[in-house]
Formats: sequence, C-alpha cells, structure tokens
Amino acid sequence: MEHTAADIRFSDVSVTYPNGYTGLKNINLTIPAGEMVGIVGLSGAGKSTLIRTINGLVPITSGSINVGAHQLNGRGGTQLRGKDLRELRSNVGMVFQSFNLAKRTTVLNNVLMGRLYHSPAWRTLLGAWKNDDVELAMAALERVEIVPKAYEKASSLSGGQQQRVAIARTLAQRPQVILADEPVASLDPPTSHVVMRDLQRINAELGITVVVNLHFLDLARRYSDRLIGLRSGEVVFDGAGADADESVFENIYGRSLTAEDVLGNKAEL
Amino acid sequence: MSTSVTSSPQPQPKTQRPTKPRHGAKSLAAVVLLVAITIWAGIGVQVDLPAIAANWRNATTNIIQLLQPDYGFFPKTIPALLETLQMAVIATVIGSALSLPLAFLASRATNPRPKLLAGVRFVMNMIRSVPDILFASILVAVVGVGALSGIMALVLFNVGIIVKLVSESLDGEDAGAQEAALAAGASWPKANRAAMLPQILPSFASQVLYTFELNIRASTVIGLVGAGGLGILIDNVRSFFRYHELSLIILEILVLVLVLESLSAWLRKKLV
Ligand SMILES: Nc1ncnc2c1ncn2[C@@H]1O[C@H](COP(=O)(O)OP(=O)(O)OP(=O)(O)O)[C@@H](O)[C@H]1O
Ligand SMILES: [Mg+2]
Repeated sequence: MEHTAADIRFSDVSVTYPNGYTGLKNINLTIPAGEMVGIVGLSGAGKSTLIRTINGLVPITSGSINVGAHQLNGRGGTQLRGKDLRELRSNVGMVFQSFNLAKRTTVLNNVLMGRLYHSPAWRTLLGAWKNDDVELAMAALERVEIVPKAYEKASSLSGGQQQRVAIARTLAQRPQVILADEPVASLDPPTSHVVMRDLQRINAELGITVVVNLHFLDLARRYSDRLIGLRSGEVVFDGAGADADESVFENIYGRSLTAEDVLGNKAEL
Repeated sequence: MSTSVTSSPQPQPKTQRPTKPRHGAKSLAAVVLLVAITIWAGIGVQVDLPAIAANWRNATTNIIQLLQPDYGFFPKTIPALLETLQMAVIATVIGSALSLPLAFLASRATNPRPKLLAGVRFVMNMIRSVPDILFASILVAVVGVGALSGIMALVLFNVGIIVKLVSESLDGEDAGAQEAALAAGASWPKANRAAMLPQILPSFASQVLYTFELNIRASTVIGLVGAGGLGILIDNVRSFFRYHELSLIILEILVLVLVLESLSAWLRKKLV
C-alpha cells in the first residue's frame, strides 16, 4: 500500500459556533496534495477552528469542504456521519498541542490507536491486534526514532518524545493528510525543531499533506512551503513563506511584532 | 506583597473592593432547623431513658454470656462461614463484570447519547437507593431462602456502587486520548476501550476490592433475612437465646472482616 495524497478544497466555508460567535468567514482555499502549509494568526483568529473543520471535529455552518473523495457540507447539505465520517477521519491524522496520549498505557498501544478504524471490534475489545497492525505501528515509531520505548508507559516519556509518539500514531493511520494544532507550543525550542523537522520529513518523504498551526513566525516561515494568515476568521494572507516579511505579519496580527512572536535564537540548531 | 504593605502605606485601590457577603442569618436558621429536627426525631422514636435503665439488669447477664464464646461450636459454623465468603466472592466477580460496561454508559465522558445516558443513570440511581437488606428480603421472597438470593442482592448492591464510582472517575478523566482516537476514525466504543479504559483500570480495580470488603460485611447482615451464609445461623441461635454461640459467630465475623480488609487495603495500596 502507498500513501496516496488528496487535495483539500474549502468552498465559501463559514463556521458559527452555537453561542453565535463566528469562527470562520467565507473561507476559500485549495491545499493541493503533498503541500506543507503553515497557518498563523493571533490567539482567537480561528486557526484551530480551520484545522478542525477538515476532519469534521468542528461542523461547518455553510459552504463545503472536499478532502479527496469526501465532502463535508454546511447545515442543510448532506451530512457526513457514521461510517462515512469515520472513513474520512481515518485518512486524516491529527496532532494536538497537549499530545493527547493515554498516559497509563504503553507507547505501542497509543500508536495502535491509529489502527482502530481498520481493526475489528472484537480485536479492539480484547486488545488482540493483528501482527500487521503491530508491525505498522512499529514502523511508524521507527520513523520518529522511538522504537526502543515501544513497551514503556507513555507517561514515562519526555514531552518531545510524547509528541513524536503522537505523530507516529497519525502515521499508523497511513493518512493522506496530517493536521497539527500548535504541535510545539508545549515544547522547549530545541525539541520544537526536532518535532517540526519530523513533520517536514514526513511531508517530503511520504508526500503526506501537512497543515500546521504555528504560533511563532520564524518557525512558520522556516518549515512551511506556504503560509496562510488568519485574522478574525478571515484569510488575510496566502503566499510563500519567503514572501512573508515583517509588514505582512504586522497585517496578520494587526499590531507591531514583539519578541514574544518568535521562537528566536533561544536555541539555534 | 506583604512586605510592601508593612513598609509603605496602603496604596489607594483602583477599583472598589466588593463587600464580603454575610451569611449570619442563614447559619442561625440552619442550626435552629437542625436542633428542631433532632428533637422531632427523638420524640418520634420515643427515646425512653428509664426503660433503658430497667432493661440493663437483663442485658448484663446476656453481655456476660456474650463475653464467653462457645469455641466448641466452631465446627458447626464452618459451612455457613464458607458460604458467606463464597457469596462475597461470587457477587464481587459478577457485580464488577456487569459494572464495567455500565459505567461507560453512565458517564458523560464516554456516552455521547444524552437519552441513553439519562436512562442508564436513572436506573442506576434507583438501584443505589434501595438498601441491600431490602433487596435481600425481596429476593428471598422471590427465589427462596438461601445463598442464591443473597448473591443476587449483593450483585445489585455492588453494581450500584461500582457504576457510580467508576463513572465518576471517567467523568474526571482527561479525554484527550479519546479525542485523538475519534479523530483517527475510531467509533465511540473503540475509542473508549483503547483510550479511556487503561486510564481508569487502577481505580476500577481499587473499587472492586473495596466492594469486596463491603460484601463480606453485607453478606453477614443480609443472611438475617434468610439470604444465606452466617446471617441465617445468627438468626437461628439468637431466637433460641444461645448467646455463647452467637458470641462465637460475632467473633468469627470480626476476624474475617479484619483479615480480609487489611488484605484488600494492602492490595489496593499496591495498585495506586
Ligand atoms: N466551542 C466553541 N464555542 C464558542 N466559541 C468558540 C468555540 N471554540 C472556539 N470559539 C471561539 O472561536 C474563535 C476562534 O477560536 P480558535 O480556537 O479557532 O482560535 P485559535 O486561532 O486556534 O486561537 P489559539 O491560538 O488561542 O488557539 C475564538 O474567539 C474562540 O473563543
Ligand atoms: Mg487554537
């Protein structure tokens, strides 16, 4: 089996939260398969909302999103649910700021969660994984260089290692897309670079589309082919990372830049 | 902070400080109500101090008998003693096995269907509100005198407790891994099994041991209404005023409960 990639297309997507707050306004975007896209914006700009609409964790209010052969619609349109929604999600991996591992179980069991969609219910219940699935999980751990820790408790790992286990969990899905919501926000600078390079390598070597929310401008510029700037739920910049100079960022942020906005030379690798 | 207060005069606060709310009247009302309820309860059950004093003479002879256990009676208590133990073990095993899936259905964190959640919680609250001895009396009437009705009563009693405690620890558990599993395409049951179960397993095991301790004690009591074990024996010897024998049974229960409780407490400590 090959990792095949799929385009992501936003057509006039808006999200209004149940409390009436508008999270996204008329987003039109195409993310071609295999691209590495960074999303930047102030806190509350809608970065998480944007990323979470792609796997249906946040339902969209209007418009539509295509992910490969799947389509998510706004209210009134056909809703993707049940098995169809799970199939879409099985093609899209997700990495979280706080790692989201089950800390009391082993690293391997955490990575195997990426196989839950494909594993029969009785095997899941008994924890009797197929050898193929275990091998897939081990291969995923190999990519992030944590194989020796496979049978250790997830809680015994450092933050950086935990995030790499979370990345291995998405790889075990054999996904077309990986979404990462501020994956390095809880990590120190050197570890941040290790994790970002893992994502970059996965994008380059496996051709998996990577969409990553980033807080620090320098990280965003350095690790993404393309930058999307969000402000109050709208796209205010869309272009190559190299084109994004200080004035572009000041427009995205709506204020002048400060030292807080860059990870900086705190650890240059 | 405190040093600046002592070294310089207090600066004028920028915003007005809210006044501390007063609860004086409410507290007084609560105390008055509590006293009233206590007096009402005392009158209701007719606490009759002179009668207690009069009975005391009678009681002393009984107490003296109770202080002299008839050790010769021991062999005859063994079957009932074992039955009590077996009832507790079987009820704990069946009760915990039933409780684990029910706990997942009874927690907001693991059951996404509001109606099913409300239904399961309602039934569980019903079960928990019935005292174990009442279950035993009803079941003795339905399935007859003996250990079976006792076990069934204990199972219901256990399900009530374990489901409550385990579903509460599920509610308090971090749902991050479950969210990740769902985002990877897992169904709710699979996500719960893979991401939530390992997190609450230690607390589940500890609840199971705790209910076992409760079962040892409860199984002696429910026997009084005919639901098997030492309780039936207690009922027998008591109705014939054989206090030396009653005394031995009480001693046995004491030893049993103490030994098993310390064993279980030791095990639970190893778990967490
Ligand atoms: N479930 C929700 N209900 C109501 N409003 C929400 C909900 N989730 C997010 N919001 C609001 O939508 C806006 C966008 O939130 P979002 O989480 O997408 O921002 P973000 O760019 O990811 O910010 P951060 O950098 O703080 O993570 C915020 O103002 C937030 O308060
Ligand atoms: Mg966010």
